[in-house]
Amino acid sequence: MRHHAFQRLFFIFIICVLLPFSASSQIDEERDLKGSIDSITLLHAVICEDIEGSTPQNPTTVFSIERRKAVCFTLFDAVTEKAVIYHHWFHRDRSSAKIKLIINPPRWSTYSSIQFRAEDIGPWRVEITDSEGRIFKVLRFSITD
Amino acid sequence: MDKIVYLISSLRWQDIVDIALVSYVLFRFYVLFRGTNVFRVLIGITILWFLQQIAVSLGLIVTSWVIQGIVALAAFIIIVIFRTEIRTVLQARNLKSIFWGVSSKTVITAIETVVQSVHEMADRKCGALIVIPGKEDLEEIIQRGIRWKGEISREMIESIFWPGNPAHDGAAIIQGNQITEVGTILPLSRRDDLPSNYGTRHRAALGLAEESDALVIAVSEERGDIVVAKDSGLKAVKQRRKLEQILQEHMGVASKKGRERRQEQFKVAAAAVFSIIFITSVWFSVSRGVDTLVAFDIPVEYTNRNPTMEIVKTSVNTVSLELGGSGALIKSMKPDQVQVRLDLSESKVGPNTFTITSENISLPPGVILKGVTPSVVDVDLDVLMTKELPVQVDWVGHLPDHFILANAIVEPERVQVIGGKRMLENMSTVYTVKVPLDNLELEGTITANLALYPASLKIAPGFKEKVTISYVTKLRNQ
Repeated sequence: MRHHAFQRLFFIFIICVLLPFSASSQIDEERDLKGSIDSITLLHAVICEDIEGSTPQNPTTVFSIERRKAVCFTLFDAVTEKAVIYHHWFHRDRSSAKIKLIINPPRWSTYSSIQFRAEDIGPWRVEITDSEGRIFKVLRFSITD
Repeated sequence: MDKIVYLISSLRWQDIVDIALVSYVLFRFYVLFRGTNVFRVLIGITILWFLQQIAVSLGLIVTSWVIQGIVALAAFIIIVIFRTEIRTVLQARNLKSIFWGVSSKTVITAIETVVQSVHEMADRKCGALIVIPGKEDLEEIIQRGIRWKGEISREMIESIFWPGNPAHDGAAIIQGNQITEVGTILPLSRRDDLPSNYGTRHRAALGLAEESDALVIAVSEERGDIVVAKDSGLKAVKQRRKLEQILQEHMGVASKKGRERRQEQFKVAAAAVFSIIFITSVWFSVSRGVDTLVAFDIPVEYTNRNPTMEIVKTSVNTVSLELGGSGALIKSMKPDQVQVRLDLSESKVGPNTFTITSENISLPPGVILKGVTPSVVDVDLDVLMTKELPVQVDWVGHLPDHFILANAIVEPERVQVIGGKRMLENMSTVYTVKVPLDNLELEGTITANLALYPASLKIAPGFKEKVTISYVTKLRNQ
């Protein structure tokens, strides 16, 4: 089931905003990254329609399926070292996507998004966690027809 | 022949008791009411009932309706018109004689006592007036005296007519082995051809005999002679044997010796045999008559569930029972007389499979189980637990294109839910019922029920099944 859920990643458009970093150098560095709630502070987290620059646009809790996508924006502070956090998307209680994101010191914003399909109508939630699964925050929204 | 053997071998002990009880009731009915008008009318009603059944089987609709109406009316009329006769029959006997025995021993003993008392009072010239009712009720003929209800004895009779007794001037009424009333006033005969030596007591005896089928014994206190009044006639009786014979004839036990007694015994035995044959026939026609099949959808009841467990899921809620029996039984059967029960006392947490057998099904007597569909039921059980879960609104519909739902706060944010452990472990959110966006104003508060699925889930005490949603909308890109 979980494997099937991850297959759905094919349909999910992920944008990771990693202010200017080269993709090739990240891969090697991420292997040893760990995020910890103890040191990192989640300053702001919101579900919104889009991101312009580094700013979330139209934060909302309801998306018409016609709008095609939802974005989960998070802003972290007190990041002491490069770390991993996750945006774990659930449709009702079924895991839909678990997106790994890198954050860097000292303050970092990052986001992930999903694109809608007809069967995605219903209540959703995004669990923002560290690498050990500890939850910073849960954001809830609905996709309507 | 094989069918008869099969029918007899299929009888349960309850069926035999059933037949025996009803046969005995019918037989007792005959014993109690034989010779009365009630019995004759009952026979008439029974014949009408059979005629109605024949009319129904022949398809004579109106005839069967008419007969059915007459039978229904007759059953009512019999109670109203013959109420006094029924009461007389039942009052004249004690409880034991109603339920047991056909001999007239009690009556004979009473006759002997009356004869002995009357002769002793005659010897002592003690006046007496004794009424022995026939089948007619005397209530409207005599003037009521004092209710007595005493068992008959020589001493009792003599003390009633002792001159010092305030009630000695009236008549005593004897029914069966009881003195039911004393001091009663009898109607006086208006005949003017009575001998001059007959006084008021004799006139009263004749008066009642003229107006009813009762027998009245008068003992003269002047001459000490005994006179019996019956059927408009007065007859002086000197011999004990003669008086005994008159009383026996009146009470219906007269000279039943030899052939007559054997005839009487034969009638009673024939009535007993007829009762058994009749009730057996009715029983077989009702319970093993024309085989009718019917299917009922019956809900499955789960009993003896461990209170710490919860039924999470069952493969079926109802099973279809195919039942057979006589048309009359099947027609009169109601679904609530049929129960399907599964005993969960031995069940475990997780999936359990039960095969429904006849032991799980209770049916009315005479109804036979032909089949169960499905015969196997899966029951999933879980241990109960309480879990606190966040509440999320399940929005549906549309906001106007230029509006967004900027904020929505649910109160309370979390509720406790009681349910099966395996079910709750996989649940992380309780959703509301679908809340339409179309009717929202710029901002406001609405309420919504929680949608618990499966239905076995319950909101814990102290929490409401409704939540309040405070919302704010605003223009997009504002």
